[in-house]
Formats: sequence, C-alpha cells, structure tokens
Amino acid sequence: MSETAQTATPRDPQRLHEDMHEVWGNPRGLKALTIVNHTTLGLRFMVTGMVFFLIGGILAMLVRTQLAFPDQEFMAPEIYNQVFTMHGTVMMFLFAIPMLEGLAIYMIPKMIGARDLVCPRLTSLGYWCYLFGGIILTSSLFLEMAPDSGWFMYTPLSSGEFSPGPGSDFWLLGITFVEISALSAGVELVVSILRTRTRGMSLDKMPLFAWYILAMALMIVVGFPPLILASIMLELERAVGMPFFEVAAGGDPILWQHLFWLFGHPEVYIIFLPAAGIVSTLIPVFAGRPIVGYRWVVLAIIVTGFISFGLWVHHMFTVGIPQLAQAFFSAASMLVAVPTAIQVFVWLATLWLGRPVMKLPMLWILGFLIIFVCGGLTGVMLALVPFNWQVHDTHFVVAHMHYVLVGGMLFPLMAGLYYWLPLYSGRMPSERLGRWGFWLTFLGFNATFLIMHWTGLLGMPRRIYTYETVMGWDIFNLLSSIGGFVMSAGIAMVLLDIALHFRFGRPAPQNPWNADTLEWTTSMPPSAYNFASLPRVDSRHPLWDDPELPRTIAEGQHDLAVIDHGRRELWGSDPLTGKVREIVHLPGNSWWPLFASLALAVVCVCLLVRLYPLAGLATLAAVGFLLRWSWENGAHPRAAPDAQVQPGDPPLHSRTMDGPGLWAMSIALLANGSFFLSYLFGWFYLWTVSPEWRMPDASPLSLPLMILAGAALTAGTLWLEKLVRGLRRQDDSGLAPGLFAVSALGGVQLVLLGVVTWQAGLAATETAHDAVLMLGLVYVLLHGALGAILTLLQGLRVGYGYVSATAPFEPAVVARLWRYNLVVFWVVVFAMAVMPIWWGGGA
Amino acid sequence: MRRLALTHPLHLVIGLTLWSLWFVTIYGGLSVACAVAPPAPEQGALTTINVALGLLTAATAALLGWLAWACLQAARDKPGRSRFVAAVSAGLYLYSAVATLFVGIPVIGVPPCL
Repeated sequence: MSETAQTATPRDPQRLHEDMHEVWGNPRGLKALTIVNHTTLGLRFMVTGMVFFLIGGILAMLVRTQLAFPDQEFMAPEIYNQVFTMHGTVMMFLFAIPMLEGLAIYMIPKMIGARDLVCPRLTSLGYWCYLFGGIILTSSLFLEMAPDSGWFMYTPLSSGEFSPGPGSDFWLLGITFVEISALSAGVELVVSILRTRTRGMSLDKMPLFAWYILAMALMIVVGFPPLILASIMLELERAVGMPFFEVAAGGDPILWQHLFWLFGHPEVYIIFLPAAGIVSTLIPVFAGRPIVGYRWVVLAIIVTGFISFGLWVHHMFTVGIPQLAQAFFSAASMLVAVPTAIQVFVWLATLWLGRPVMKLPMLWILGFLIIFVCGGLTGVMLALVPFNWQVHDTHFVVAHMHYVLVGGMLFPLMAGLYYWLPLYSGRMPSERLGRWGFWLTFLGFNATFLIMHWTGLLGMPRRIYTYETVMGWDIFNLLSSIGGFVMSAGIAMVLLDIALHFRFGRPAPQNPWNADTLEWTTSMPPSAYNFASLPRVDSRHPLWDDPELPRTIAEGQHDLAVIDHGRRELWGSDPLTGKVREIVHLPGNSWWPLFASLALAVVCVCLLVRLYPLAGLATLAAVGFLLRWSWENGAHPRAAPDAQVQPGDPPLHSRTMDGPGLWAMSIALLANGSFFLSYLFGWFYLWTVSPEWRMPDASPLSLPLMILAGAALTAGTLWLEKLVRGLRRQDDSGLAPGLFAVSALGGVQLVLLGVVTWQAGLAATETAHDAVLMLGLVYVLLHGALGAILTLLQGLRVGYGYVSATAPFEPAVVARLWRYNLVVFWVVVFAMAVMPIWWGGGA
Repeated sequence: MRRLALTHPLHLVIGLTLWSLWFVTIYGGLSVACAVAPPAPEQGALTTINVALGLLTAATAALLGWLAWACLQAARDKPGRSRFVAAVSAGLYLYSAVATLFVGIPVIGVPPCL
C-alpha cells in the first residue's frame, strides 16, 4: 500500500496544501457556478435552506397575526389559504429536508475520512434543482397564485374542478423538481457512506451520525417516489384530464392520500433521524465519554427506518377504513415509540455516566429532549384511534406536529449549527447572545404550541381563517400569537449571533469541544480536499485516540498524499470491513449539472404555462446535457487521463468491475422500484376499491405483441450479461458489435411496445383504467428507450477506447438497468395483460 | 444453495423486511378480502379472514423468533465485527417478532370488515 503513518516522512504542509489545492480548489467568478465540491455545495444548501426558513417563518407570523384576535380581517380567506399552505410546504420541502441534506453533504465525507462525496456532479445537480424548484414554487406567492389546498394537497380540493388556477400546478411541478434534489442526495449519500469510508473504518466503527444519515438517505430513496408518482398523476389529471382521482371515471381521491402519506409519514422520520444523529454526536462530546449502547442506537436507527413506513394510515383514520386495519396501524404507530425511547434512554444514560458541560450546543439539546419527548407522548395519544377521531383536524394535531418537528428537528439543528460553527468559520459564537436566543426560542415555542393543544381540545379546527369570540378560543390564540413572536425574536437573536461571530467571535482553537470524530482533524475552515492524507481508523473515537491526527494528516503522513497525477482521489472501501478495494477518482468541476437543471427549470415553467412543445424541446435539451455529462466518465481523458497508481496501491475504480457507480445505479434503481411498486399499488388499489372502476371484458393490450416485445428485451438482457461476463474475464472480443446488437434489440422492443400502445386505442382521458394503463406503458417505453440509448453509447465508447478489457466497468452498470427493465416489463405484462384475463374483466 | 452466514450484514435488514412484507400482506389481504367477500357482521371476529391472518401472524412471528435465537447464538461464538452484526441482527429479529405479535393481536377480537 501507499504511504502510512508508520512509513511516510512528514512533508511541508503548506507545499502539500498548494499541490492539493491545484487539483481540488474551487474556481472564482462565473466559474464558481461549476463547483462540485461537497463543502461548498453543502454550505450553499444550508444557506439557501435558511433563506427559505425565514420565508416560511414570516408566513407563520402572518398566520399567527391573523388568528391573534377573533373576527380579524388582516387577511382575506383566499390569501390565508395560500399563506398556511405555503408555510407548511416551504418548511417541509424547502427548509427541513434540504437543510439536513446540506448538513449531511457537508459533514459526511469529513466524518468518514473521504475528500468528497462519490458523485460530486450529482451534488451540484441536486443543488441547482433545489434552488430553481424553490424559486419557482415561492414565486407563486408573489404572483398571488400560490397553492391553497394545504401542504398535503388532498384531492379533490386540489384537483382542477375545485382549484382551477395554477396554484396546485406550482406545487406539483415545483415539489417534483425539488425532489430530484432529495433523491440525488439520497443516492450519493448511501453510496458514499457504504463505499468511501477511510481505511479500517468498518461498519461497527462508523460514527453514529453516518448511521443516521445512511438510514435517512435510504428512506428518501424509498419514501419520495410515491409522492413523485402521485404528483405526476395529479398533474396529468389537471393538465390533460387523465382521471386518476375522479370517482365518476373510476378513479379515487383516497389513492392520493395513500400515496401522499406513504411518503409523508416516513418524511417525519427522514427529518428526525439526522437531527437525532446530531444529538448522538454531541452528547458524548459534551459528556466527555463514549455513548452508552452504540449497538442499541444502531438497532433503533434501523427499526425506525423500517417501522416508519408502516404508519401512513394513521393520518387517514377518519376516511372509513375497516376497524381491524385501523387497529394494525394504531399498533404499529405505538411501536415506533420503542426505538425513539431507546435513543432517549441512551442519551440520558450517557449524560448520567459522563461529566456534562453545559455549553451552548448542549442547551439546545436539552431543549430538544424536553420538547421532543412531549411531542412523542402526544404522538402515542394520536395513535389511539378513538382519540385520533376526536381531535382530527384540530389545533391539537398542529401542536403535536410542531412539537415533533420543531423539537425533533430545529432544536438539534441549532445545536449542530452552534457545534460545527467553529469548523466552518474558525471562530466561536457568543455564549451570552446565544443563550438569549435559546431561551427566547424555547419559551416562545412552548407559549405558542403548548397552549395550542388546549385550543385544539376546545375544538378549534385547523385551517380556518378566523373564528367568533363566542367559541371561547380568544385568549389561547392571543397567547399563542404572542409566543410566536417571542420565538421569532429568539430566532432573530440566533441569526444575529451567527452573523456577528464571523466578525467578532474569538478565534477557535483546533478541536474546540474536544470532539472524537474526524471532521475536527481538518483545517478550520476546511480545505476543498478535507484531508491532505487519508488516515487509517481503528476505533470509534479516532481523535480521542490520537490527538496528533490533524498535524500528521496535514503533513501527508497517511494514505493517498500523492497528487502529481492530477486526479481527485479517495479510497473505495469494503462496505462491511472498511478494507481498501480500489482508488475512486472523481470528476472535476463541470457546467453540465447547471445546464441540465436549467433545462429542467425551463421544462417546469413551460408545463406551468402550458407551453407543451417548448417543454418537449427543453426535455430533449436536458437529456442531451445529461448524456454529455455521462460521456465524461470512466476512462475519458477528462475523468482519468491515465491509470497509473503508486506502487502497491489498488487500481482505479474505472479499471475494475467493482466501482461505486454500480452501487449508485443499484440505489437509483431502488428508488425507481419504489416508484414502480407505488404505481402497481395504484393499479390494484383502484381495481379493488374504486366504486366506479370499469375493467373491460378483454384487455386492450395485445398479449402476443407484448410477449414478442418481452422476448426482444430478454434476448438483449441475456446478450448484455454475456458481454459483461466476458469483460470480467478481460475478454472484449466482439464487444462493440455486441453492444450495438443489444441496443438494436432494445429498439425492437420499443417499436413493438409502440405498436401495442397505438393498437390499444386507450381512452386515457375518459377512464381511470385506461389512464393507468397508459401511464404504465409510457413508463416501460421510457425505460426501454433509456436502456437502448445507454447501450448504444457504450458501443460508441468502445470505439473511442473508453470501454475495453482494461476499462470494463461501465457495461456492468448499464446491465443493471437492463435487468431492472426486464423484471418490470414482465410484471407489467402479468399485472395488466394477463391478470385481467384470469379475472374475466370483473371488477 | 449455501446458507447466508448469521454474521452477514444482510441480517440487519432481513428481519424488518420480513415484518414489512407480513404487514403489507395482512393489510392488503384484509382490504382485498373485505372488498371481494366480506363476511356477515354477526359472525364477529371468528371468520376465515381472521383465522388466516392469525395463522400468518403466528408463523411469521415464529420464524422471526427462531432467527433471533440463531443470531444470538452466533453472536456468542464470534468476536469483534461479526459479533456486532450478529448481536444487532438478533435484536432486530426479536423486535420484529414482538412487533408482529403486537400488531397482529387485534385479529383475535376485532371483526374484519366493519
């Protein structure tokens, strides 16, 4: 292996820094738009998230102003509807998730001993999609066209009939655009955590924060696609009249609720888990001892990740589901309290057994513990079906939700921001100003929302724009509103503290809190490459074990300290053991993510204003940019000019069959599979439950042609697998012609499917049955086209020498897509062409 | 086919994946059964649907319980990382088994389609 702490001689840190900076440094001026570095993009995510937080906060204050007194006319009801809808939407989609993603993007590579995330251009695409989607969505407020159906957009209220304006379209298109960002981050965080940890950091030595982010990222990957599907369906219904949610045409509005909450409930835990990760990181540091029960915390994280997907119906207890099914979901909702309680007890035990130091971050942690436990308890109350019926859609639910979300996310986030502030500013915040900020926020929050529980129990429904004084809610609402403004003052104080500390904060010493994790071994603020050399890690507390790490890392005494090859390198390691497998080389700064997201923004705007031809052209442009991006990969001169490595080092990942790209494709297909399963759920749900569902006597799809198309797809997949097996044996004979032939088979499948679709003569705007079929056919068509195009490009890359026996990696990645397409296609054939024959069209 | 070692990290997710499949099956099965052939309300909880759901619940819980026991044994025999994986997997299997029983208990007394 390359240089190690035992064998390497110390080098001049400044010289090494300059050499590293030459390769990893960020450009300035207009070229700053091309930056793909995780530190810069993580900060951009967080700063943008804070701007949206302020917008969401102002909207909240407008709501509280309106409700402060009875019979107020501060806002008209139409405006009030827009304001509360956008408050929830902005806080959930544009603040909470992106803010925590930003923190994870910033922090994870530093904590696991990597120099960047594994797909840096994807980070950049994610940021631009988030920014443009957020701007499009919030612009609706200024145009007075904002969505007004509540942040969960229930149909039919959000459908064309009851919301004819563009408000719902802003929501559906904007949120879908933003979710590209969430999924991008989800995929690359999973792969980065599993495959790029530094040497020796086995799964059981990984920082707990990385466990939390791993679970969060996987939950995003599985949890977001149902909402993306639902948004596409509702937008198709609104734009072209495909009646997925119209009862008269065989649709069902309850399907929206299922799909929304399949996303929506896990979303709460997607927000909570990273915040709990902050708590599990900070408490041991300020208690001065390792966390009690590391294994228990890991167990609790995994349990939460799964169980939170089994609770979605507890948001729907009033829609008429059988009592037995409600009992299942009620029990599951109580079960999720168990992993949460495990964590709370672990935190308390760690504090009990340690010597806690009450610094500013710990104050926010204590606030979190109090508020979140209260929110958890009201959560258990809401899991009880009769109580849930009683307080459904009242301010009690609003109070509970804010206790869980603000207590469970905002307070730990503030703790984390204060904790890591010295890392990215090199300065310490003011304890006095910070304490004022905390107490105002804590007291203001409880004054607002503790009281709101009583308002809810007195029967005040949510989402009403005013109330009469005879209802007896006056004083409670006034106190809640006062509390809201006190909380705002607290947040303002915190922001002021953060702003002032950049100028007046005292310089922070190295590792100011005596932390144990690797991020504190970087320079302050961190350089673009994080570590001049990558240290070996043999315990969960590397910095407590070796306080000299910052120096030895900067002196290049550890691994991968050679940079004259000009590549951005980090370790590719085994997911379980942390043993090094290969050197991962990352792409540099690029315009393609910005161009692709700009084209997608044009698509989004064109769909909003119903300029469909232009939307089509912009889609083609986006596809073109993305394909051009994919061209600069692997053995392309811009990706890795040569494959030389230091003697004893493992090969570059692009020269193996085992790079992180395989994992990225697999995780992306997991998201895709979640989308497809949600679609299948929709098909069977409408078939089984929708009262007006009309199944034709004979399937409109030609089964023989479908089977022929499937045969072409199967032959293509098998052929591609054979080529990949050849590459594993370092045999690339017949590779290019083989890839072209596979692509041609994909083309045959497309043509046959096109004929099937044309022959079916589906009335997709008249019945939900035909609309669902059409959606499924378009799905397999698009996937078939993608498989054929990517394989064609692989064939071309063989000609350029980018794919060969010595650079065999990429066809294996494309083969995974073909495998997925194969499974999905035959499932579609079975579910939509074969099963209706068996059941004789009876519905 | 070679058996997956009890110290393999896949065991960290198999237990709760089985729980999820069981959960989707009982919820989906109940919904379909109630849509296709709802029993008469006067039958109470003693219906074919409840019996089928109960048997599936018991079988799933038993399987998960057995896997928990097997992983626990493996954890006792192994050192270091393997012990970590097997011990956490055992806990996850145990949690999944208890969760299956807890969520499944209502089939004993609640009529299926009311």
